[in-house]
Amino acid sequence: MTYFNQVFAIAGKDLRSELRTKEALNASLSFAVVILLLFSFVVDPDSEMLEQMSGGLLWMVFAFSGVLILNRGFARELPNDCLDALIASPIPGSALFFGKAIANFALIAIIEAICFPVFGILYNLTWTAQLPVLVAVSALATWAMATLGTMFGALTVNMQLRELMLPMLIYPMLIPALMSAMQLTTLLVAGQAIDSEHIVWLRVLIAFDIIFTSLAAVLVETVLVG
Amino acid sequence: MRDKLIYGAGIFAALYFVRNLYVILLQLPDEAMQGAVYRIFFFHLPPYFTAVACFLGAAIASGLYLKTKNWKYDVFAVSATEVGLALAAINLVTGMIWGRQQWGIWWTWDARLTSALITWLIYLGYLMLREGIKDPSERAKNSAVLSIFAFFAVYFTYKANEWYRTQHPGPVLTIRTGKNTIDPAMQAMLFHNLGAFLLLAVVLVAVRMNLENSQRAVESLRRRAHAIA
Amino acid sequence: MDQRNFEYMFYGLAAAWTILCLYALLLTSRGRKIQSEIDHLKRMLDSSPKK
Repeated sequence: MTYFNQVFAIAGKDLRSELRTKEALNASLSFAVVILLLFSFVVDPDSEMLEQMSGGLLWMVFAFSGVLILNRGFARELPNDCLDALIASPIPGSALFFGKAIANFALIAIIEAICFPVFGILYNLTWTAQLPVLVAVSALATWAMATLGTMFGALTVNMQLRELMLPMLIYPMLIPALMSAMQLTTLLVAGQAIDSEHIVWLRVLIAFDIIFTSLAAVLVETVLVG
Repeated sequence: MRDKLIYGAGIFAALYFVRNLYVILLQLPDEAMQGAVYRIFFFHLPPYFTAVACFLGAAIASGLYLKTKNWKYDVFAVSATEVGLALAAINLVTGMIWGRQQWGIWWTWDARLTSALITWLIYLGYLMLREGIKDPSERAKNSAVLSIFAFFAVYFTYKANEWYRTQHPGPVLTIRTGKNTIDPAMQAMLFHNLGAFLLLAVVLVAVRMNLENSQRAVESLRRRAHAIA
Repeated sequence: MDQRNFEYMFYGLAAAWTILCLYALLLTSRGRKIQSEIDHLKRMLDSSPKK
């Protein structure tokens, strides 16, 4: 099998198993909608403050509900020694990592694709003015979340307090990417294009993705195999 | 012999600090606008540089551990990270006190303070990860990977800040700005205190490494004792 | 020395030294605990019947 076939075999396996049961997806989605609802009590939905907070609100929702999905990433391989079987299989560790990261990315992207319209409806905002750029920015930030989440999922898979440690490890490291995503999303949801003042956030996001994806691809073999 | 060296270094560090405090409090000229409070600076910036040096050392030791699987690198990594965490805490707290006096607020979410807090939290996560894994070799391996990630994250966060002007004062050291923005006596004192803190960090890391080695000896003794007795 | 804002300087220096001392105390207390456990285990090993 070529490398890409291996990666997409793993990604397909994860996506298929998740989409058939929809356990994590349903939980994550409900959680996201509940947070969106709760935030309506934090800020008056009619005020102008909401426009300034839209990016922050949305990415908080995605970060919290995304972790529910990321927790499942390696944990689903624990019963029946599936993780050992995967590690023993002839695919390189980085292929396993990329496959899982792509699957996580797709699942979080589904959450986002549903949450954006829900957000627009609940808070009465039109958010599609800069749709292509918004999709690109969301993809970059979601990839950052998926990469770090898959990597730290591999690190914490054998711990008892896995569900606690994973958020604790991910969130501080994810902050540059989350911050950039929040700033850019606020701008794009309001309908403005990314100007020279805000292009720095895009650079941060891209650099973050490149650096951490390479780092993870190099180190994941060590984590899984030793 | 090694213990004597550590004691000696500790005493030398203490004397160095006494000498530095004397110079800071009694000999340095006054700052034009801030009054006495600017002298906190000498206990604000050197701990930060020392903490970063500790974290860098820990990351390098982690990489070496992953390559050679030699335990002493793992011992060094955890010791350096813990000492670095204590020094970074000093940086945060002195910064908050200084900021309270200068700007009237205990905290502000500007880039430099936020990245200092993020650094602290990331390395706290490292210590928590170590607590959570019981098997020594898996603990060493996983925390080594995390340490490397953590240092990249910290460096990245720090660099990302440079692209964004902040409320926090900009660089003042001549090596960074290339011109005379700071009194040379103050700059010399800064480097002196940095030296003192580096020496102190070396002593603390050595002590912590002894502790870690004793802890491992205890664990192996415990296994033996419970097997025999 | 200029006495303006002297209080805050004192608080700042006191905070720095307090954190250092707390950490040093933490290390020594952990050291003492480990040492006492080593002694206890050694006694246990010495007193147990040799095989």
